[in-house]
Amino acid sequence: MKRVYLGEFEEIVLLAVAVMEGQAYGVAITHEILHQTGRDVRLNQVHSALQRLEEKGMVKSEMGEPTAERGGRRKRLFSVTAFGQRTLHEIQEVRASFWSRLANPLKLSV
Amino acid sequence: MKPPRLADRFLQFFCAPHLLEEVQGDLHEEFEYQVERVGVRRARWRYWRDVLGFFQPRYIKRKPSQYPQTYLFSPIMIRNYFKIALRSLQRNKVYTSINILGLSLGMTCGLLIFLLVKYHLSFDNFHAHSDRIYRIVTEQHRDNISYVAAVPSPLGKAFRNDYTFAEKVGRICTFDDMPITIKGKKGLNKFKESQGVAFTETEYFDIFNFPLSVGNFQNALREPNTGIITERIAQKYFGNTNPINQIFRVDNKLDIRVTGILKNLPSNSDQKTEIFISYPTLKSYNDWLGSDDAWGGIHSAMQCFVRLRPRVLPSEVEKVFPAYVKKFRPTSKNVHHYKLQLLNDVHFNAQYGGAMNKQTLWILSLIGLFLIITACVNFINLATAQALNRSKEVGVRKVLGSLRGQLFWQFIAQTGLIAAIAGGIALGLAVLALPYVNQWFATEISLNLLTDWRLVAFIPALILIVTFFAGSYPGLILAGFQPIVALKGKLSQQNIGGFNTRRALIIVQFSISQVLIIGMIVIARQIYYAQKADLGFNKDAIMLIPIASTPQQAKTVKAQLQHLAGVEKVSLCYSAPASNSYWQTAPRYDNHSEEEAFRTSVRAADNDYLPTFDLKLVAGRNLYPSDTVKEFLVNETFAKKLNLASPSDLLGKNLRVNGNMTGPIVGVVKDFHDHSFHEDINAVCIPSASDFYNNYAIKISTANVPTTMAAIEKIWTKMHPEQIYEYTFLDEHIASFYETEALMLKLIQLFSLIAVFIGCLGLYGLISFMATQKTKEIGIRKVLGSNIAQILWIFGKEFVRLIIVSFLIAAPIAWWFMNQWLQDFKFHITIQPWIFVVTIAITLLVATLTVIYEATKAALVNPVKSLKSE
Repeated sequence: MKRVYLGEFEEIVLLAVAVMEGQAYGVAITHEILHQTGRDVRLNQVHSALQRLEEKGMVKSEMGEPTAERGGRRKRLFSVTAFGQRTLHEIQEVRASFWSRLANPLKLSV
Repeated sequence: MKPPRLADRFLQFFCAPHLLEEVQGDLHEEFEYQVERVGVRRARWRYWRDVLGFFQPRYIKRKPSQYPQTYLFSPIMIRNYFKIALRSLQRNKVYTSINILGLSLGMTCGLLIFLLVKYHLSFDNFHAHSDRIYRIVTEQHRDNISYVAAVPSPLGKAFRNDYTFAEKVGRICTFDDMPITIKGKKGLNKFKESQGVAFTETEYFDIFNFPLSVGNFQNALREPNTGIITERIAQKYFGNTNPINQIFRVDNKLDIRVTGILKNLPSNSDQKTEIFISYPTLKSYNDWLGSDDAWGGIHSAMQCFVRLRPRVLPSEVEKVFPAYVKKFRPTSKNVHHYKLQLLNDVHFNAQYGGAMNKQTLWILSLIGLFLIITACVNFINLATAQALNRSKEVGVRKVLGSLRGQLFWQFIAQTGLIAAIAGGIALGLAVLALPYVNQWFATEISLNLLTDWRLVAFIPALILIVTFFAGSYPGLILAGFQPIVALKGKLSQQNIGGFNTRRALIIVQFSISQVLIIGMIVIARQIYYAQKADLGFNKDAIMLIPIASTPQQAKTVKAQLQHLAGVEKVSLCYSAPASNSYWQTAPRYDNHSEEEAFRTSVRAADNDYLPTFDLKLVAGRNLYPSDTVKEFLVNETFAKKLNLASPSDLLGKNLRVNGNMTGPIVGVVKDFHDHSFHEDINAVCIPSASDFYNNYAIKISTANVPTTMAAIEKIWTKMHPEQIYEYTFLDEHIASFYETEALMLKLIQLFSLIAVFIGCLGLYGLISFMATQKTKEIGIRKVLGSNIAQILWIFGKEFVRLIIVSFLIAAPIAWWFMNQWLQDFKFHITIQPWIFVVTIAITLLVATLTVIYEATKAALVNPVKSLKSE
């Protein structure tokens, strides 16, 4: 199978979508990332990442219900596809295998 | 709390519709959140930042539509646009011709002004390294500062020898109005060269790019009594014979051998002289100017050009000049400050005799722009008025699937057609008018579409700009019609753009016209005043003829002239009382040890000067006949400058001027204008000094003028067989002081005529539009018993109001401008209220004539007809 690569930021966004379980949309993801990582991401970056992920087939989306705080506009809700889940797992495994072969992790801090 | 509206609008503008909902929703939600967190002000900033973050291709790109698109530019439709455009133009002949006429007039002016400005900006732009070429000029600091574009003749040589700032230093000494004679097979050929001859150093031609076609600069202009001439002059003097080594005689003094032929000089150069004589010859023509120690004064003929080395600053060079003043003119009250004037500035700096003021060019461009704008405004007015007539067509097109864009482009195509026709006519008119423009401005502009790429680019650009400027607004209105309303014929003026827009446009047009009219009246009055006001002497029926012989011969001629029947008086004089010539010198009064701080004009003349010009004495007596300086007359200003209470205090006091002229003051003349009205009256002294007489001033009786003039010519020609007879009348000479103003008057007359004309076309359009609008109203009024006059007043009220408003705008602007203009004159009229009254009266009259036909036609319509249709 052709391996699909994820950028570091895309991976974070994909993880955030996975964590939020069907309640993931632009602003919410932005805030989630801010709380978890402390990095000040901007909306347009998150939107771009979501679009790219959808093009790669790792997330799918549908329009949600309109809410008052959005001026009656609907939100686009994202959820992770099977392919997305598999990719996340693979990444996790690759990392784990590297970490396990590291003799003395403390050396890294030098 | 709402996010910034402008940012939101911007987002809606650029963001692709299928993304807009989620993006905008997220942005709003984020905004709400941020308001809670950081407050409104910073949230708004963040909102802007976020919106701008989305401004990238990913969000701008539209989703491809699943339906087929209508092509905006399909060739068949474009052909159709032009066909319909032609048809609708043909149907409305009056409308079309008004538009084409207005636009082509405006464009003609624009085109001609463009040519003129381009011509002047191109002056002397063909010399290599022109950014390093300078002319040395002089500021003369006395009690006031005067500016001359000349320097003492030895300065150039000294500067060349003493300093290394300049690559080349070239002196050129130009004398205008030179008689040239050539020995031909059948006696003498006489020529008068108004551009004169120039005594020129070879280095001058190293600086400037005037190439030789025959000969070379290694040996041209080196030896005394040699010279070079242009091809044109060679053809004129020697025809087809080889001009090299031919001899011509200059001013009956110098025999000059031709050693080289220059290519004809380009017309866009300030170098107009076409005969150049070697500089060493100058010494035998004018001993003083040719010598190396002529530091005492400046002859305006003597110019000096330098080309500096690269990276030499002019300010550096100017610092070394004061040393010369200190060395050679240590005691003079007239302190010279030599400055460098960049070549680019020479043509435009009026202070140093530049031919064309940059400001004038700006004003001209502005007027050209205004005329084009008025023409476009006109078009907009008429087109929006006409739009109603096309509502059915627009409705049908829209029902059949036209888009707004297509309708807009259709109208632009029609406008483009009109603009292109107008542009073609304008080009033709410009070709026809160009000879007159050249004559007025003394220019040699040519209109050549084959060689002049700027012009070739300008015309289509002008047409394009006019098309869009004039066509966009009506096009948008036309394209914006709602098909249902348009097809039902229920469109009214509310639908086609505010009536007020059109009113405002008319007001703009009439303001421009009225500013121009007021300007025209003020200039005309000032010129009239300058020519008719009492100058302090009588200028009627006085001929001026140049003296071209020795003082003795001049006296013989004078005696002969006095015996002629029609001649009343003859005076030999340096110049007429009012004259362009500047012979000014610092006087030394009453044996004072120092020169006075003021200067006095010298008007050398014999004892017949006062009676010939009818000058009045206020004290003392006239001069006794004399050939040399024995006595002086002075004017009243002379006494004022010396702070003397009474003119008679001057009498008997000794006066010394010009270094060596000295004698007692015997009489005081009533003040007269010794220059144009641009200047104050100077102190003047009148000595007898026959060496300095240039003119016979002849007062002739008004009876039998042609016989008298013929007799005068006969006597003169007999005495000066080698010269060409010329004469001027004094009043014409004085009128020539105001040539610039007279030209300006002609221009402003023309421009105001065109502006008024175009304005009237616009008014006509407005009124005919009103007439169709008010058909029903007029019908009802008539049924209810209105008479014709009352109905006419409906229209009258409208345009009188417009003109009065535009007058209120125009009057202060014109007053301010013309007041500024009058400041150029030391003696000028005041701007009186009647000028404004006349202006508004003229405008009202012209406007009435414009609208009366259309209004009367509307008022006379039978109400049965106008009310019947619904």
